[in-house]
Parts: sequence; C-alpha cells; structure tokens
Amino acid sequence: MKKFALLFLLLLASCSEAVPENAVILVSTTSTQDSGLLDVLLPAFTLQTGYQVNLIATGSGQALKIAEQGNADIVLLHSPQAELKFMQEGFGLERRPVMHNDFVIVGPSMDPASIRAQPTALAAFEEIFASASTFVSRGDESGTHVKELSLWDQADLDPAGKDWYLETGQGQGATLSIASEKQGYALTDRGTFLAYRSNVDLVILFEGDPILLNVYHVITVNPEKWPHVNLMGAQAFADFVTSSEGQQIIREYGVEEYGQPLFIPDVGSESP
Amino acid sequence: MSFDREVIQITLLSLQVSGIATTASLLLGLPFGTWLALGDFRGRSFILSIINTGMALPPVVVGLVVAMSLWRSGPLGDLRLIYTPWAIVLAQTIIAAPVVTGLTAAALESLDPRLQQQLLGLGASRIQMILHLWREARLPLLAALMAGFGSVISEVGASMMVGGNIRGQTRVLTTAIVLETSKGEFERALALSALLLILTYLINLALTWIQQRGVKR
Amino acid sequence: MIQIRDLLIRRGKIDALRVDSLDIRRGETLAVVGPNGAGKSTLLLALAHLIKPARGMITFHNTSLGEWDDVKYRRMIAFVFQDPLLMDLSVRENIGLGLKFRGLEGQEIMTRVNKWAKTMGLASLLNRRAGQLSGGEAQRVSLARAFVLGPELLLMDEPFSAVDPPTRAQLLKDLSRLLSRDHRTTVFVTHNLLEAAQMGDRVAVVIGGELKQVGTPRQIKSRPSDASVRAFLRELPY
Repeated sequence: MKKFALLFLLLLASCSEAVPENAVILVSTTSTQDSGLLDVLLPAFTLQTGYQVNLIATGSGQALKIAEQGNADIVLLHSPQAELKFMQEGFGLERRPVMHNDFVIVGPSMDPASIRAQPTALAAFEEIFASASTFVSRGDESGTHVKELSLWDQADLDPAGKDWYLETGQGQGATLSIASEKQGYALTDRGTFLAYRSNVDLVILFEGDPILLNVYHVITVNPEKWPHVNLMGAQAFADFVTSSEGQQIIREYGVEEYGQPLFIPDVGSESP
Repeated sequence: MSFDREVIQITLLSLQVSGIATTASLLLGLPFGTWLALGDFRGRSFILSIINTGMALPPVVVGLVVAMSLWRSGPLGDLRLIYTPWAIVLAQTIIAAPVVTGLTAAALESLDPRLQQQLLGLGASRIQMILHLWREARLPLLAALMAGFGSVISEVGASMMVGGNIRGQTRVLTTAIVLETSKGEFERALALSALLLILTYLINLALTWIQQRGVKR
Repeated sequence: MIQIRDLLIRRGKIDALRVDSLDIRRGETLAVVGPNGAGKSTLLLALAHLIKPARGMITFHNTSLGEWDDVKYRRMIAFVFQDPLLMDLSVRENIGLGLKFRGLEGQEIMTRVNKWAKTMGLASLLNRRAGQLSGGEAQRVSLARAFVLGPELLLMDEPFSAVDPPTRAQLLKDLSRLLSRDHRTTVFVTHNLLEAAQMGDRVAVVIGGELKQVGTPRQIKSRPSDASVRAFLRELPY
C-alpha cells in the first residue's frame, strides 16, 4: 500500500510541471488556424529555436481576453482597433506588423444581387441589402465580423434583425458551410476561403477594393502585468515571424496548393 | 434586439426544441422499451446491448451524422432541414431515445416478473396489463424521462453542428454560451449558464414532485 | 365442467407436466397435492391459459381453451397466487382491480368491494396502502380480490404457504366455509397432504410432473396407485 502511495505521489509531482520552460503560448484566431498557415509556420519556428508552441485558436474577443489575463505569451491577431485598445491599456509590450491579406465577398455563382458588376465593396453591400439576399455573418465579434460591421456602417445600412441576415456566432469555416447550404453571401478572409473552397458551393464574387485589406500584427504580452509570461519565447516568436525566413514562409504559403499566396508579408510597412 | 429580449427568445427556443425532442423520444422509447422488457424473442439481448451502447453515444457523433445526412449534398438534403430548429429536434431525439428506451426496459425488468401473470390472471387485457405495469414502475420511468430531458437540454455539440447557432433561428442556450465565451464575454456566458442551470433544476423539481407524489414512506 | 385430455406441458426442453385424463366437476373443490416442484403450479397456469400446452387439450364448457378468447376466458376465472403481489395502491383499489379490468362502473365496484372486504374482515383496512399490511392481511386482500369477481372457476396456488401457522389455520377455516357456502368450482394446490384432505372433495396426486391418482382422500389413503404415491403418503404423520 505504501509503495502504491509513493508511486502515486511521484506521478502527481511530475504532472505539476504544467508548462515546460521551452513552451510558448500563442493565442490567435480560428480563421488564422483555418487558413493552415500556422501548420507550416509553427513547426518551422520550433525547428529553428527549439521552442514548442501551444496554440489556442478562438474568436478575436476571447483571444485578447485570454492575453489580458496572462494566459498567453504572445498574440497574433487581425483586429486593429481592439489591438490598439489592448496596447493602450498596457497589456501588450510591443506590437509589430506581420502580414496582410484581404477580405473577399463570396456567394452563390448565380449571384442574385449582381455584386460582380459593382465598382466598390460598399456598393456590393448596398446591392445585397436592397435585394434582401441571404447574407451570413460571423456574428462573433471576430476581426472579420468587426470588418463586416464597419462596411455596413460606412454604407449607412443596418441589417440587424432582417430575416435575410443570418448571424452564426461561429468560426469562419462553419460560417462558410452555412453560407454554402443557404446559398447566401458572406464576407471572409481570402486565406480561409481558399482553404475551404473545395468543401463549399461558393465563389469569390467581389475582391480588390482597398477597403477590404486585413492586417495581421503580433503582440508580446507585457510582463509587468504578468511576470510569469515567457517573454523570451514570445520575443523569439515575434522575431521569427518578422525575420526574412518567417516572411519567406508567409510569402510562399498557398502558392503551390491554391495557385496564389494567401498572405502578403509586411515587414517594413508602417502600422496602420 | 436588447440582450434581455434575446435571452428570452433563446430560452424559449431551447425549451421548445428540447421539449419536443424529449416528448418524441418518450413516444418512441416507452413502447419500444416496454416491448424489449416484456418480450421473449430471439435477439432480445442483442437489441438491448445495442440500446445500452446507444445510451452512451457521443452527442457530437450524432450531430455529425445527422448534419451529413441533412446537407444539400446528403441523402436527406431535399428536406431542407439543415440549420433549422427541426434539425436540432431530430438530432436531440436520436440522442435521447436510446436513453429513454434503455431505462424504460430496466424499469420494467426491475418489477416482479410474476406481476405480468398476476395482472393477466385478474382478467387484464394486454393494454390494461401494460398500463398497470407502467403505473407500478412510475418511479424509475419518471427517472428515465428526466434522464432523457437532461441529455438534450445540456447538449451543445450536435445542436451547434445541425443548427448552426443562427441568431434568432437556431441559437439555443448552450450554443449561445459557447458564442459568448468565444467573444470573451465571460459574464454573459456565466449569466446564460446560470439561467440554464436554474431552468433544468426547476423542470427536474417538477418531475421529481410528480414522481414522489403518493409515495408514502 | 373442465376436461383435460392427453396434456403435455413443456418448460424449455423439459416435460413439466403430463396429465392423461382429468375431469373437474362443477361445484367441487379439487385439491392438487404433491411434493415441491412436482408440476402442480404448472397445472394451474395451464388451466388459466397462461401457458400453452405442447400437446393435448383442455376444454371448458365443452369448448377447447385454444378456441376461447384469452381475455374473455380469464375474466370468467380467478387466480390466487402464492404471493399476494398486491399493487402499490390502497386495499380498496387492490380488491377492485379485477372488476376495473372487466369495465364495471365505479358505484358497482364500490358496493362489491365493500361487501367482500366485510366478509374477509378487511373493512377497517380499506384505505390502507398495500405496502403497510401484514402477511396475513395481504393474503386476505388477495382472496377478497379473487372472490369479488364471482368467478366460475377459482384457481389457488398454495395461497397460505407463506403465512404463519395460526393465521394459516384461520384462513383455511374461512376459505373452507366460503367455498362450501357458494359451491364454487375450485382447484386448490398445496404440498401439504393434511390441507389437501381437509379442503378437497377430491384429491389429485401429482408427482414428478405426472398425475398419478385422483380420488377422495379416503380412496387415496386406502388404495395408493403406485409406489411413489405410497412413499408420498408415508410423509403423513398419521
């Protein structure tokens, strides 16, 4: 009986080593994860630096909350307004641009609202509104959702509560599935759409308007608030994704599989 | 829509969907479980073991299979049920039915086996006999009902997959909690959780009261 | 009234009961006696058509049981089991249960139940719940439940074996009185030879799943038909 108790205690003790020294907790969004970029970027980072990355992928809102509570070392996000607030409140140490991609409006190939022919994204949104075509929104306060809301706002339209306007409250992949089933329009980042294209019955109907740019930044969590964060690991990650090697990986990701890059590296650009 | 009004709408939908699913599972499970308990035929043990496995079926697996069946590309796509409340009712019924069936069978098997003969000996028709056996087993049968309801009101995976969590249409308490959490709105998530718990408690309170009524100790 | 011919009942692969020929006359009390497990209960279950024979025929009023509608037939008889097996109801509701199955009106049920409760000395217990009764009281309820039906045939399977001796003696006395008063056709199963002799106009001896002999108690005692019957008789203290 005593031997058993001793063994049990040893087992418990070994479990208390919760996060090993060489691990970095990265929190990012589900759409970033869905694009598949991290599946290439993170192992390359581990190979070069030896740091293991524990990735938590959630909606943008929760991502920042997790970082605010010190449960992450580094944040990779594409929600500029929320990020700036995060920095202002002193939760982040350093914020650097990493890459950008763009949003596109996808929908059924028969395009009932004829948005293909529209000159601007706002005009496309106006047509969708006017024709009461089905539009599927993320509805989860993610970066994409915030972008979508700002577009409606700039077009001076309010779709909330309309029966053609569906809010799923889910990630990009799930939202695209629903849009496909309902044969409706949706705003999505190009990366996730390219990754999901073969699973959904939707096509890109509008793209290219500068207003649709989607910018990614990496933020190291401020150790002043949370001394136990792995600052060295976080900085190593930030350095890696902005290094020439990291940027090269970003530049090349998706070209082979989809014929076009999903992201455009940004090092050297100014923070918007 | 203000948060409060929305919460009421979500709560009502949860109750409707889970209520209908539980009722459907009762209409299916009570007769089927009774037949399994009282019948004497080859393959009875086999079917019982399938039902017992069904009780432990992961709801998320049910959700996946139902979703794939209801997709436009799936066999039942023409029904256009995917991402509607009826899809959730379907999935939840499939989840609850084995629970109600299995527990009904167990409830009736726990009765004295001679009771059947006794009732028949008193001149009961088959239906009269079954009704009286149900009455004798009403305690474990009501427990079966509570278990069936509990298995669906608290379910989130299947509801998310087949319902789509669409605001105003298929958002129920559990999927709303997941959403608020992913937005970082932990207080709202907790408020919805408390609501769900209170709701479940009140319903079980009512069912327990019915169950214990007339039980003199 | 009842004729059994060439009967064979099987339980699984085993021959549980064989009866070549047995007549039960209207108004008589036939005591069926034999050692435990001999097949006596099986005979009662067959008479109630709760189990079907593998071979042979039982006729009731000259019609084979197989041709009777099961429920209709069983509503003409009453079965008292070894254990009272009362429902989780009041004594009143238990006694009236069979009447309820037969679709009688509430008022009619109440009248009959009250009458028989009085006869069986249960009037004061009518509102008691079944679970609160003593063994003897429960068995009385079981009897009342059977008698209230006014059955053409009464089947009783060792109704007093689970009851203590003094209560048992009293119950036997009461039962005997009731049966002779009403001339009710009864088949009474017991493993106790004394009881059989006391209760039965005639006695049927069943040993090892076979009907060995039928006759008055005196006939059986004085001329046992074979060695097994003789051995069984030897169990008697007198």
